[in-house]
Amino acid sequence: MTDAATKFIETYERERNSLPAADLPWLDARRDEAMKSFAEAGLPHRRLEDWRYTDLRQLLSKASLAPAPAHEGVVLLPTTAFDAIDGHRLVFVNGRFRADLSNLGGLPSGVTLVPLAEALRAPWARPLLEAPQASGIVALNTAMMGDGLGLHVAAGVRLGKPLHILHFAADAGAFHVRNLIRLEEGAEATIFETHAGAAAASSFADHAADVSLAEGARLAIVKVQDEAPSAIHLATLTARLDARSHFAHFTMTLGAGLSRNQSFVTFAGEGAEAHVNGAVALRGKQHGDHFVVIDHAVPHCASATLFKTVLDDSSTGVFQGRVLVRPDAQKTDGRQMTNALLLSRDAAMNAKPELEIYADDVQCAHGSTIGELSREALFYLRSRGIDEETARQLLISAFLDAAFETVANEEAREALRGLAANWFRLGGGAA
Amino acid sequence: MTAVRETVDTVDQLAGEKYKYGFTTDIESERAPIGLSEDTIRFISAKKNEPQWMLDWRLQAYRRWLQMEEPKWAKVSYPPIDFQNAYYYSAPKQNAKLASLDEVDPKLLETYKKLGIPLVEQQLLAGVAVDAVFDSVSVVTTFKTKLAEVGVIFCPFSEAVREHPELVKKYLGSVVPESDNYYATLNSAVFSDGSFVYIPPGVRCPMELSTYFRINEKQTGQFERTLIVADKGSYVSYLEGCTAPQRDENQLHAAVVELVALDDAEIKYSTVQNWFPGDEDGKGGIYNFVTKRGDCRGPRSKISWTQVETGSAVTWKYPSCILRGDGSRGEFYSIAISNHFQQVDSGTKMIHLGRDTSSRIVSKGIAAGRSSNTYRGLVSVHKKAENVRNFTQCDSLLIGPRCSAHTVPYIEAKNPTAILEHEATTSKISEEQLFYCMQRGLPAEEAVALIVNGFCRDVLQQLPMEFAVEAQKLVSISLEGSVG
Repeated sequence: MTDAATKFIETYERERNSLPAADLPWLDARRDEAMKSFAEAGLPHRRLEDWRYTDLRQLLSKASLAPAPAHEGVVLLPTTAFDAIDGHRLVFVNGRFRADLSNLGGLPSGVTLVPLAEALRAPWARPLLEAPQASGIVALNTAMMGDGLGLHVAAGVRLGKPLHILHFAADAGAFHVRNLIRLEEGAEATIFETHAGAAAASSFADHAADVSLAEGARLAIVKVQDEAPSAIHLATLTARLDARSHFAHFTMTLGAGLSRNQSFVTFAGEGAEAHVNGAVALRGKQHGDHFVVIDHAVPHCASATLFKTVLDDSSTGVFQGRVLVRPDAQKTDGRQMTNALLLSRDAAMNAKPELEIYADDVQCAHGSTIGELSREALFYLRSRGIDEETARQLLISAFLDAAFETVANEEAREALRGLAANWFRLGGGAA
Repeated sequence: MTAVRETVDTVDQLAGEKYKYGFTTDIESERAPIGLSEDTIRFISAKKNEPQWMLDWRLQAYRRWLQMEEPKWAKVSYPPIDFQNAYYYSAPKQNAKLASLDEVDPKLLETYKKLGIPLVEQQLLAGVAVDAVFDSVSVVTTFKTKLAEVGVIFCPFSEAVREHPELVKKYLGSVVPESDNYYATLNSAVFSDGSFVYIPPGVRCPMELSTYFRINEKQTGQFERTLIVADKGSYVSYLEGCTAPQRDENQLHAAVVELVALDDAEIKYSTVQNWFPGDEDGKGGIYNFVTKRGDCRGPRSKISWTQVETGSAVTWKYPSCILRGDGSRGEFYSIAISNHFQQVDSGTKMIHLGRDTSSRIVSKGIAAGRSSNTYRGLVSVHKKAENVRNFTQCDSLLIGPRCSAHTVPYIEAKNPTAILEHEATTSKISEEQLFYCMQRGLPAEEAVALIVNGFCRDVLQQLPMEFAVEAQKLVSISLEGSVG
């Protein structure tokens, strides 16, 4: 047992009675069971195939893992890329919901948006939490989840305006956030998520989200992670898609010294579609790991994954993807692509795009490229009088833009482009 | 038990006395006692009249092996192997010679016919006494003279240990160290025999070593060890195995192949593996756990692996290239066909250490029946490897709803000047193409064979000419019973 794991176990023992909805017997049992499985497995390490490029056990050994303080006073919130887009607003500081900073007025009827403590009492939440988890590390979150949001959209209801969620880490320390999202038949919602932190906050943000889409439901999530370089960000998304539902998830990873984003999407009904895409731009000593598993458990579903990674300085990028087509999942269309640009001598990229296929009538393809900026393209631009800096930015922007193009919401797409431009301004991608 | 004791005593005696009687001492017993122990290894070594250093090497490997665990990461499953319930050495068996081809299993003959194997070779492969018809000895002698003229050494491994100890000592284990992995280590401890090839500087080996090998191959046993060294500026093409089905009683095969290419040298290593895959219900069949690795040690050297894998019940095999020399090049061309209950986990590793190194991987997996076919590969670019280029293509073809195909590539780049490309597709055999062929009068099986051969074309082209033709037919035969 490592110190880090022991710390979590101790915190759990100390705080278990003050965790949200601790009075619910089923939840108490679930938490205990989760903590037990976490204690048995410990933190994931390099010898586990899924973690071969990100040794969480080792990386967390130096982090400050005491619970983050409840930051209740005044807090200077950063602007987010999505501020210009009209929507409902939820703010979390150090992993705790801040009603005073949020604005949830004018939600259409049929939309329930509540803090985790309340959501846990709702009948629709329990199956989400009791479903088996694809990733062992989620057990830590299940046991320790301190806050989060519950979103329930009734059948046929459309959440007109997007939901802005801002997670801000104001201080050092660990927090565990759980989001539970259930869209009933034909419901629709869009969520913009921003993760930021105070410059000096060496936080450990442990996020888990469980998404369940009923028949024909549509959910789009655009997530921007721009935490402080001293921060550690761990996020696991688990989504279950019923027939003809549509799920689009986009992650933009810019921040945190160490980040690991896991997405597990399971098709449970025919005719559903999933898009799990992302853009990653890292510099300094950042390490960003994206892990995507698409489980085609039923026939006639389509999935597409595209990740574009730009690595500067001595940053490291990881992409591990798996398209799993189970027996009988005929007529599956599974696509997976990962491209990486290495901008510096010390940057490194590891990719492992996997196909695991047990049905024959399928179309599955994956591709992976790693390389530097094309010298010919640079020369071409330079020969037309464009200075090197601009030429590089132009090429890198174009590279990332292919990922942004997968975002359906035009305003969000523009917001992402703005973030990329800002990355250059801060020195990313410089020659 | 007393018999075992006796044998062990005999070995001990021999081990102590072998210098007294020289290397040619013959031991009466033809088999090592059942099980694996240091005594077994001493027995094998004594049986082969090996010098002390060779025995020490084996023992060192054995001691390491005892501490190792069987790898479990491959996508294959098989019942646990009882290493103590096997014989690790038995002298080549003299099968009862058959008088003519009429006595051979007609099924076997039919396969030979389909493969287009010449009659004399058919007889040889089937174990018919051929002395009267086919003077293999004279052919071998001709080859030997020809090779000797240019200075090529090509001999059984055990002979090389005795005749060319300085070369063996220098290169053995330099690519696959004796404690490399579980099966390679086991092989290091108990390897039976294999081939040793040395091509002197500047020599282009005057013939495909396959030709010689094919008609001269003896039962080399289940733990084959091959070492090929191509000295500066030399070239050799080596073909291992045979398109003809090989019935073999040994369930476990753990071979090791080491290739060393010095400056500007080139080694082309082709394999056709068609061991018994088990019957249609998945009973029996060979476990083929092979470690093959080539070291492009010198600048501008080149190693090319080509494999056609159609046999074995379980295959675990990753022919790799260590691209150490600047400007060196590694290639891997593979066709892996699995049918019925076969399991294949195969691929390659391209480790780019030197500048301007390049590699190319083309893998074609065809799964039919209830088989499982996995491509597992690594492309790794180290920090100091400038201007590396890799292209990887692995395609899988699925025939039937119950087979499976997996692609597990690992791509690791630590140098920005590297250009790495990987692409993979998985799809079923095209119904339009099938329909098109059948509409023109081809039976379903022939149509499938035609399409699959087209799918494998890039790889088949890499095989030495004479084998390409047979391999094409082999592809068809392996898929028999997969449609309709």
